[in-house]
Amino acid sequence: MLSDPNRLQIVELLLGDEHAVNDLVARMAIHQSGVSRHLRILEEAGFVRMRAAGSKRLYSLRADRFRELDEWLDRYRELWNARLDSFGEALEQKQRRRAQKRRRSTQ
Amino acid sequence: MTKQLTFERSYRASLKDVWDLWTTKSGIESWWGPGGFAVTVRKLDLRPGGELLYAMTAVGPEQVAFMRDAGMPVTTEARVTYTEVVPLQRLGYVHVADFIPGVAPYDVAHLVELHSSARGEVRMVLTIDAMHDDEWTERAAAGWESELGKLDALLS
Repeated sequence: MLSDPNRLQIVELLLGDEHAVNDLVARMAIHQSGVSRHLRILEEAGFVRMRAAGSKRLYSLRADRFRELDEWLDRYRELWNARLDSFGEALEQKQRRRAQKRRRSTQ
Repeated sequence: MTKQLTFERSYRASLKDVWDLWTTKSGIESWWGPGGFAVTVRKLDLRPGGELLYAMTAVGPEQVAFMRDAGMPVTTEARVTYTEVVPLQRLGYVHVADFIPGVAPYDVAHLVELHSSARGEVRMVLTIDAMHDDEWTERAAAGWESELGKLDALLS
């Protein structure tokens, strides 16, 4: 989603303030149709919201979606911490079993 | 906002034992499943572009109840695609994260690096990149991270 350079640039431009599509187009290297398409994708994914002001459509960032991404990373971190604990245990078990086998075979 | 997670662990073990836990059916099945879930490897094709297919089955009573209440089957299938395989040293794979409500699926890159230390230990470094993408990485290096820090401050 945000790995697309144009979408990332839009997010970057929206960091400071809300902008109309034309503002964004003026600062980007792609045409209006491209900017509109990326805005639509970002809006559908919940990263960006639009409000109409007169004839203008103003776009801004939605904090909650970015926070969700953060929360997801936190959850992923927890998952991996638990998983790596299991990894360590599995490794120990493997070594213990091998040591037992060795002891048995030398007895 | 961070988009990269790094974990580091050291084990008194041989490189081979650590590598095998990541790359063999019995190895993976012995630790991969989160608490209350059993993992069965269905396909393991260990080479760049090859896939690991596995089934995750809720076995703990709590997990079984949770899946049932959420209207999900007790067994779900998952897939990772290997991107880099250097035996005993580096294992890279991509996993499609499609379980974030409302967010389109995106690739999460994982890289496992193994180093043997002089004391006979194996140092294992796992790096997880939620936005695996060269462009993203470059921007992160160019201070994008601090921009996102500002975003947090701005929007909170």
